[in-house]
Amino acid sequence: MIEVDDLRKEYDGFTAVEGSNFSVPDGEVFGVVGPNGAGKTTTLKMLAGLVEPTAGSASVAGYDAGDPEMRKHLGFLPEESPLYEDMTAVSYLEFFADLYDVPRNVARERIHDTLDRLDLDHRERRIGDMSKGMTRKVAIARSLVNDPDVLIYDEPASGLDPLTTNYIIEFTRDLAVSGKTVVFSAHNLFHVESICDRVAVMNDGRIVARGSVDAIREEHGRTEYHVYTSVEVAGARKENGRYRRTVESMDAVEETRELAARAGGEVEDIQTHTPSLEDIFLEIAQESPDVEGRP
Amino acid sequence: MKLRKVLRIARWEVSKNAGQLDRRTVAIGLVVLLAVGALTPLVAQQGVTLDDGIYRVGVPEDSSYHDPVAQDAKFVAVEPDPAAFPGEMELLVRPDGRVVAAETPKGRAALSDFRDTVTAYNDRLMTAESDEAAAFPVYVSVAYAEQNSPTASAAGSGAVRTTAEGKQRLDGETGDGNGADSGDGGTDSSGEESEGGDEPIGAPSVGGSGSLFGGSASGGTPADVAPPFPFESLVLAFAFVLPMNFVIQAYASTILDERVNQRGELLLVSPVSREDIIAGKTLPYFAGMVAIASVTAVGITTLTPAADGVGPLGIASTAAISVAAVIPIALLFLASSFVGGMFARSFKELTFVTVTLSVFLTAYAFVPAIFTNVHPVAAISPLTLVVEALQGTGAGAGPGVGVSLGDYAFSTLPLYLSAGVLFALGAGVYREEDMFTQRSVPLKFLDALDGQISGRRSAAKLSALSIPFVFVAELLVVALLFALPVSLSMPVLLVAIAFVEEIAKSVHVYAGFAHERFERTLRSAAVLGGFSGLGFFLGEKATAVAQLVGLPDLELGQAAFGTVTGLGIEASPLVLAGLLFAPLALHTITATVTAAGATRNRNWYFGTLVVATLVHAGYNLTVVSYIG
Repeated sequence: MIEVDDLRKEYDGFTAVEGSNFSVPDGEVFGVVGPNGAGKTTTLKMLAGLVEPTAGSASVAGYDAGDPEMRKHLGFLPEESPLYEDMTAVSYLEFFADLYDVPRNVARERIHDTLDRLDLDHRERRIGDMSKGMTRKVAIARSLVNDPDVLIYDEPASGLDPLTTNYIIEFTRDLAVSGKTVVFSAHNLFHVESICDRVAVMNDGRIVARGSVDAIREEHGRTEYHVYTSVEVAGARKENGRYRRTVESMDAVEETRELAARAGGEVEDIQTHTPSLEDIFLEIAQESPDVEGRP
Repeated sequence: MKLRKVLRIARWEVSKNAGQLDRRTVAIGLVVLLAVGALTPLVAQQGVTLDDGIYRVGVPEDSSYHDPVAQDAKFVAVEPDPAAFPGEMELLVRPDGRVVAAETPKGRAALSDFRDTVTAYNDRLMTAESDEAAAFPVYVSVAYAEQNSPTASAAGSGAVRTTAEGKQRLDGETGDGNGADSGDGGTDSSGEESEGGDEPIGAPSVGGSGSLFGGSASGGTPADVAPPFPFESLVLAFAFVLPMNFVIQAYASTILDERVNQRGELLLVSPVSREDIIAGKTLPYFAGMVAIASVTAVGITTLTPAADGVGPLGIASTAAISVAAVIPIALLFLASSFVGGMFARSFKELTFVTVTLSVFLTAYAFVPAIFTNVHPVAAISPLTLVVEALQGTGAGAGPGVGVSLGDYAFSTLPLYLSAGVLFALGAGVYREEDMFTQRSVPLKFLDALDGQISGRRSAAKLSALSIPFVFVAELLVVALLFALPVSLSMPVLLVAIAFVEEIAKSVHVYAGFAHERFERTLRSAAVLGGFSGLGFFLGEKATAVAQLVGLPDLELGQAAFGTVTGLGIEASPLVLAGLLFAPLALHTITATVTAAGATRNRNWYFGTLVVATLVHAGYNLTVVSYIG
């Protein structure tokens, strides 16, 4: 459904994206994560045909990314979507339905159905009078007005309150379930981890890791063991009246047990810690120099 | 481009903006528009009468001064009570017929106007006299000739001579007393132009009888021979061009609005081309301008006294010509506003850009049109076509008779082409990568030029496409300078024209270097200079259209365009060939010089631009001196 082959984008000598390769099959939710300035938005805009690649190619739904025909099969949601404040939600969506050649009766039904699913009332209210969450829902409804096969969502929940965020994440998950192919970028890695089948981690314009979340965890993440002892041992930190030593193998756990016994103590508890995508992302990001927006 | 989508976007543009206006604003706007629409023809027909009744004159009803006072709106006739003078009147006509004025500035002004009024009244009486020979025992013929022209001394001795600059002298020979003209291109007693004149330069409408909106036909005294105040041009500029200034504000705002907060991104990602978007967004404003111009044209045509007796077909025809003449102005207003909207970073900056454009374009349309009926320089402005269509002084002899295709092409083609190039320039940056970036207007301009460059040959294409702007700029310079003494205007003109042309040939090359399109070597500069010079040379030949209306007959016209065409120059074929192709060498050399500067940096570019301008001006001076 989506093929990206060695994409590169330069702006006045600055390389925003370099050597980007990935493919997304039908019906998959693909996440793109990375710090600010990593090249996520540029990559998504190249897929949407908004930005012309300096080199490489991308195809969406069987069409070149720059092909106007491709746009009929695409629903794009930019990170910021300031709409036309003086229009109502329905008139705004009807206008875009016309541009996508959606028959009037089909468009009307689809618009109201989508707004029902998004739980958006006050459809005849001026967009300028709506809250940010409602505006975002209108923007999402716009991305679905042509019933696209592929959805490219750039930070769909950016700047929204937790309730609306969860609603939109769930809605996106439902879209994937209904068979849409979704490419999704987000800062909140929990959201990505919860709905994406596969992810690409970007840093400094390059994809530094890709695959399923589990595969990335396996490749880049390390399972850690927190061994709590009653006495101080080498490499341990005092924590709530006991000592914690963090190790990465069962051999090291056994070594800690021996060290505690030698010091006249014992191991009181062992906890296994599996890293989240965010931990892996931070670790990958820290390995690369000059990362902006590092937490 | 898909018409259905263009129309849908146009409809959306209207409904979107309609939502921004509350009913009260719409109502006020309509009232203002109706008021302007109603007042413009009235003002045009009757003139502004701010001085009605400002002077009080004590004059008996049986006095011969009573009628002149009663017929002039400036004066109010009151009871000639000596006790009330000077307190309640500025002038008093005594029983013995003497007129005394109050010893105040207003009294003296009243007396001066009173004299003029009585003189004009007497003229009218003479004009109405059945025995013309008794009324006008002396006839004076007027011939207009170019300054220093051999015909100036040869034409009709004993006539009042008025030079192209309007200087007059009276030789004092009497006419034959039958009212016939003896001088070419002169005027008869009613002030209308006689036919068969040899002079290419028309005479002013003496006494205003040829004026568009009526006026006294009683003139004819030597004192009346003066260039008329450009009331028609002023009214037409007000009626046709002023509304455009309001429309472009809204248009430029809607273009910039698409760029604020990346609002237009969703349109760009929809299955419509940027041409569809631009055309759709422009269409309502263009239609609005044409509608306003149509209503104005029909209103003015109908109310013009000259239209008396002309049928609906004639009025429709005249109005259509007027609208056709105004359309390129509207397009250029829109195109330049579009570019302004695409380049400006904020609404504040946009206001500055649109006001600058508005002043420039209004001056271009208005200044030359001031000289309609006086000077061929007026042909530059399409508004002149409107005046000609309404006066019937174009190709025919009455309202409703069309102007010639050549006149139309000369006045409007540069504007059509300029508008087209500007739209193309703006459309080039109507894409995500350019329209949402925050760069200064000059840098955006360079971006737009760079967007049109696809290789070295683009230098030739862009130089050729700059010709309409060069032509417009040079025509404007000619229009602004031609009234000055030639000794002063000529050097300024030569340098100004050289500067305009050198910028046109080099700025896109500089943009290419600034965006690292070209290798920064002298060899690259030479190739680009060659292409740019060649493109400009070929495009420049298009200015031969200036010959259509004989503009090069002017000394300044020769300086501006004679150096390009070599036409109208009597010389050997070898010299003519040299004059024809010498510009190619000039343009190539100077373009190479500026390109070499552009390979370094901005300061070097400006430095070489000055050098190229001086070389070019020197060439122009040489050729003009040769032409003589």
